[in-house]
Amino acid sequence: MQPLTTEERARAFTSAKKADVLQKQRLPVRYHVEDFEIEDRPRRFLEAFASILKHTNYRMALDHYVRVSAKCSRCTANCQVYMATGDDRDIPCYRSELLLSVYRRHFTVSGVLRGRLLGDPGLTDEKIQEMAESFYNCTACRRCHFECPMGIDHGLVTHLGRYILSEIGIAPRALVVSTREQLTGATGNTSAIPVPALIDSLEFLSEEMQEEKGIDIPFPIDQEGAEYLFLPAVSDFIMEADTLMGNAAVFRATGDSWTVGTGYFDGINYGLFYSDQVLEHVVSKIRVEAERLKVKKILIGECGHASRSAKFFYPTFCGGRKALPVINIMEYTHQAWKEGRLKLRAGAITEPVTYHDPCNIARPGWIVEQPRELLKAFCSNYVEMTPNRRNNICCGGGGGTVSIDEIRPYRTLVGGKAKADQIRATGAKYCVAPCANCKKQLRELMEDQGIDCQIVGLHDLLYKAIVFD
Amino acid sequence: MDSWIQFGRGPLFRLAFALMLLGLLRIVVLTVVGVVEAYRRNEDKIINWREVARQTVGWMFPVGRLWRKRPVYGTISLLFHIGLIVVPLFLAAHVLLWKRFLGFAWGAIPQAVANNLTILVIATGLALFLGRVGHRAARALSRPQDYFWPLLLVVPFATGYVCSNAQIGAKTYQGLMLIHIYSADLIMLLIPFTKIAHCILAPLSQVVTAVAWKFPAGAGDRVATTLGYAGRPTWVVGSRLGTAPHHAAAAVAPAPASVTPKEQEVCSK
Repeated sequence: MQPLTTEERARAFTSAKKADVLQKQRLPVRYHVEDFEIEDRPRRFLEAFASILKHTNYRMALDHYVRVSAKCSRCTANCQVYMATGDDRDIPCYRSELLLSVYRRHFTVSGVLRGRLLGDPGLTDEKIQEMAESFYNCTACRRCHFECPMGIDHGLVTHLGRYILSEIGIAPRALVVSTREQLTGATGNTSAIPVPALIDSLEFLSEEMQEEKGIDIPFPIDQEGAEYLFLPAVSDFIMEADTLMGNAAVFRATGDSWTVGTGYFDGINYGLFYSDQVLEHVVSKIRVEAERLKVKKILIGECGHASRSAKFFYPTFCGGRKALPVINIMEYTHQAWKEGRLKLRAGAITEPVTYHDPCNIARPGWIVEQPRELLKAFCSNYVEMTPNRRNNICCGGGGGTVSIDEIRPYRTLVGGKAKADQIRATGAKYCVAPCANCKKQLRELMEDQGIDCQIVGLHDLLYKAIVFD
Repeated sequence: MDSWIQFGRGPLFRLAFALMLLGLLRIVVLTVVGVVEAYRRNEDKIINWREVARQTVGWMFPVGRLWRKRPVYGTISLLFHIGLIVVPLFLAAHVLLWKRFLGFAWGAIPQAVANNLTILVIATGLALFLGRVGHRAARALSRPQDYFWPLLLVVPFATGYVCSNAQIGAKTYQGLMLIHIYSADLIMLLIPFTKIAHCILAPLSQVVTAVAWKFPAGAGDRVATTLGYAGRPTWVVGSRLGTAPHHAAAAVAPAPASVTPKEQEVCSK
């Protein structure tokens, strides 16, 4: 892949919108941040860092990473951001070193002694600015982890770096605003959808399906004791009607009980991207709703980060092994299809179809083959992109960056460059991206890169292939 | 000169070796204790041990993995590591030393193999150094020790090779042997305190990472409380979220709406 030219670079790094707080906060970052006063940033950063080290397990990981890091530069071969920019500051190991060096200097005995001896002033405001920019240029896709012989997870370091920054008020405005509505707002979800609007739109979708398929396909609402509590990325309710109709149709075909809860119906959890505290509070909202409706399982819709944050962090914050099981809708559909409870019409889709693996569900090897088997069951022309599966390339909007409209040029010219090349090479008519974030990013990517490929969810296509008894 | 050599391979070697072992033991124990503490602190014990084991073993024997990306570098690095581990332990002359030092020893590799491996280490060590100097990304990452290590590691191999293969005078031999022994002692002394600690720590990385991705419940709120942020939020206007962790969230859960769509003005769609 060719790195950006100077001209492209200039274009990629222009902000679509100038945030008014930037001036005041002297941040070189093109988007982010909540409005806050910038006194004493280094001191506050170190205090936040110390507090986090005290109450969490990050110290153990940082100690280890500081000791083993061999600076071998192998991660350069796996980072789509670095491949696009060719900028040293985008090397995953370089990015992690920003934080690891602060840790070494301020939180290890040898670092503190060395600092005293050499008169090293330690963390500066410039360094914080560099971190603020760098940690959000990373899409937290964790592909570099696979190529690190030392086993360092740069995704974890980025996660921690963003968490510390958020504790001193530096976090993308788009994420903060959505999270605020989700946790303290009247609607309680990131898209600020009021319950009446939700119910109305679900009824509308049912009517649509009645017209199209000629059968009643309901969206059960507040069904106590249902098997599954369904939580898609809440934006699906307003943006991805086709995906939702596919989801409902699958349940109509299998006959299992499921429900959307009006108390809480949002799978999105931006805490995964910038704050462990937010992560926990959002997960707790799922738990409250699951307990209210006495469901047996939690079912997450087509969304990568929502699935990962529920699957891997619901047990973390809600009782470990005793927590309710969490599954993804694709797992469910795949299982039903394998058991013969869901019938798909072979050859329902004849155009070339390709599949994009969302990092958050593919990287751990969790959902990789299920969607492929489903697609191959009803698409006659399935093409694979390379690389794929666990080693897929990020859409370029991972780690919450897709929500930040100010950096659209960056996302589509830098972060998504590798992905665009991949999709272009397949020549597919449909690219299945079962993730709300990936869909938004890929649509913008197709538009900005001028690629003629329609970005859809898995259930959008599956809806066309379902055979009802 | 002779007494210096005797000192270097006698008391100093024993000291360096003991310090290396203790140093490595220390960091292993610290890491393991850290992992165990974290694991116990986490409520969530669900860890994909299979995946952890697969990745760990995969990177301990990285044949195949190193070829996926940057194969030339991968090959050089792998050969370097093999020679680095095999020759000091299995060279015939060293096996005798080990026997004298430990009281027992193991079989030696043939001298010709040892010779070839030694040349390989010298060549690949220099190649790694040059690669680091010549590769822009590697240069951007490198600290002084990263340049220093491949060169230092080559020293005992080069001197050892000359001493055992070349026709040289007694004086030169002694001088080279002195460098050979003292550089090896220095390497052992430095190992636990530098990046070469990865020789013992790298196999623990996967488990460290897996456990680190599990967070202790309630930590986020405790962090905020410690920082005195309970009333001075950074990401939520007004009160942050209530006080206690998830139990409090239950109390403030939004009440289920009892409205029907017909009664309410439907907001934006």
